Amino acid sequence: MIGTYWRQIRAVIRLEIKKTFFARRGLWIYAVAILPVLLFVAFVIATAHHRQRSAEFARASDHRLSAQDLRAIKTGMTQEEVFALLGKPARVTRWNEQRWTEGGHRFVVPHDNYTYSDGQDDLYLKMADGKVVFVFVSEAENVGQSLIMFAGVFQFFFLRLAVFFGCLGVFMNLFRGEILDRSLHFYFLAPIRREVLVAGKFLAGLLATSAIFVTSELLQTIVFLWHFTPPARDTYLYSNHGLDHAASYLGITILACIGYGAFFLVAGILFRNPILPAAAILIWEAINPFLPAVLKQISVIYYLKSLCPIEIPAPPGMPALLALLVSQSDPLSAPVAVLGLTAVALLALCISGSRVRSMEINYTTE
Amino acid sequence: MNSGHIVFEDVSKFYGEILGVNKVNVSIPPGITSLVGPNGSGKTTLMNLMTGLVRPTRGRIDVLGCRTDDAERLFKILGYATQYDSFPKGLTGFQFLNGYLRLAEGKARTAEELAWRAIERVGLTESAQRPIASYSKGMRQRIRLAQALAHDPQVLVLDEPLNGLDPLARAEMIALFRSAAAERRYVIISSHILHEVDVISDQVILLSNGYVVAEGEIRAVREEIQEHPTQILIRCNRPREFAAEILRSESTIEVSIHSDERGVLLKTRDADGFYLRLNQIALDGIEVESVTPADDDVLSVYEYLIGNEEVVR
Repeated sequence: MIGTYWRQIRAVIRLEIKKTFFARRGLWIYAVAILPVLLFVAFVIATAHHRQRSAEFARASDHRLSAQDLRAIKTGMTQEEVFALLGKPARVTRWNEQRWTEGGHRFVVPHDNYTYSDGQDDLYLKMADGKVVFVFVSEAENVGQSLIMFAGVFQFFFLRLAVFFGCLGVFMNLFRGEILDRSLHFYFLAPIRREVLVAGKFLAGLLATSAIFVTSELLQTIVFLWHFTPPARDTYLYSNHGLDHAASYLGITILACIGYGAFFLVAGILFRNPILPAAAILIWEAINPFLPAVLKQISVIYYLKSLCPIEIPAPPGMPALLALLVSQSDPLSAPVAVLGLTAVALLALCISGSRVRSMEINYTTE
Repeated sequence: MNSGHIVFEDVSKFYGEILGVNKVNVSIPPGITSLVGPNGSGKTTLMNLMTGLVRPTRGRIDVLGCRTDDAERLFKILGYATQYDSFPKGLTGFQFLNGYLRLAEGKARTAEELAWRAIERVGLTESAQRPIASYSKGMRQRIRLAQALAHDPQVLVLDEPLNGLDPLARAEMIALFRSAAAERRYVIISSHILHEVDVISDQVILLSNGYVVAEGEIRAVREEIQEHPTQILIRCNRPREFAAEILRSESTIEVSIHSDERGVLLKTRDADGFYLRLNQIALDGIEVESVTPADDDVLSVYEYLIGNEEVVR
């Protein structure tokens, strides 16, 4: 019996996969999937441009500087002390500030902005009246910051928007699209259990979304790694869990497709208008950190956040309520998170199976 | 339940407050059974109930021992050509049938063989590799019929199966239905084109406003309507004498001499009584060439039972 079901599931997948991949109304899903890749391509271009400019600054300096030299400058130092340590700056911009004394006399405070570089990191100094008033070192390669940026894009753009809406587009249409096309009866006239049909359609949707979004995630990782210098990339990949991180992100992407897919499958069966359930699920996922513990578990993002390999720190000064959105207050262990997500997805699939089992073909009411 | 028939037991179907069919009690034997009624009379609802596409609000349906909510068993013995003129997108005729059969049969080679056989039966071999989207209405009708026939089911449920077919294709399809009926299969056809079902049906179920108003063999249904006179055309050599003779019977309502003076058109309340008397008249020397019922076709029965509702001739 299991063999028959599996054979039928494969037959459903064969019929569905072409429709799911090449549906004209699903082309926007590819656009959504490619957006984060383009974001990282832009980041790589910006990084390359920054490096080129740093190299030019380094060449323009009359001293050969090191990272230590750049970090030796402190506020309050005089122009002479700075020049003694770093030489003449590679780039100088000047402006004058006009001030008045209490007696109403005008006087001028000269401001200079200096730029130095060791070829990788840049030092920006603001001088006022011949003294250093502001120091900023722009690091060309801050692996930690870059990883947090990648994690941020993954969690807040890729998972919550791209995968979310992509799954909406694919899974909501598995049944709803066929009802609108008046072709669902084709499946209902075959000697196949409707629960098996639900499983087949879900797996077809999962294959399609996983292929699209795993490819996107893979491309994002490749492009992101490209922005590192080769030594930094090797260190990250082979000594700082880079490969584990990449594998985790790919796994989380598949789990997101499973979770959101199951949610949107059931929503497409229960509701005629996809906008309302989609908005409800989006809000539900967004307010997840504020929900009571029991309700938190009936979501996808709750489990996915626990699985993310890099925690995103709340930026300093962020209100506590908003910081909750960013951080995971009570993370689950990876096995519990995977099991929890699987259980929620199975529950949604069971509801779908039960609804489809009693579904009637009555296209005129749609 | 009789597992050798398709049985509806007190079946009602309501779509919200709208009546689909109500209190249907019928038992459909093998052969060609036609569901006849005007648009909205409940023909398609009855077919959808029979095939599990809709569920009864009340009552039970048994298709040769199968429940209609058990698709896995039901569609091994039943094929349904619906009236929905829509197909899964992007498929050719062959892919459509092959995909359906892969769900049903599983084995790729068997499915492929059955698909080609069904395509051949409905005369679509040359167009099989073309997308269904490019098919004419008649071709789409034929591919739907092929889907219903493909797995060689015991029960064929065909909603308006002759719609959109050219005369030759109609004749071929009717021959196909007859051969299925001859093999003691169950062929259930819905139509509002009465003269077609009249020619091909063994049984008829007449529907009006969601109610079954009559069922059975066309002649039997006709005979059950005792109050309604039967018209019989008798061809004979001495029509005036024949008319005088049968006017003596109390059940005779009206007799008229045919315009060619070679026959009599009789209207009687007791057809059986007339046939008994006919033997006596023949023995008395009037040569009777033929006796033909003039109004026991579906149309006459339908018009009598349902009155002035829409009937497409």
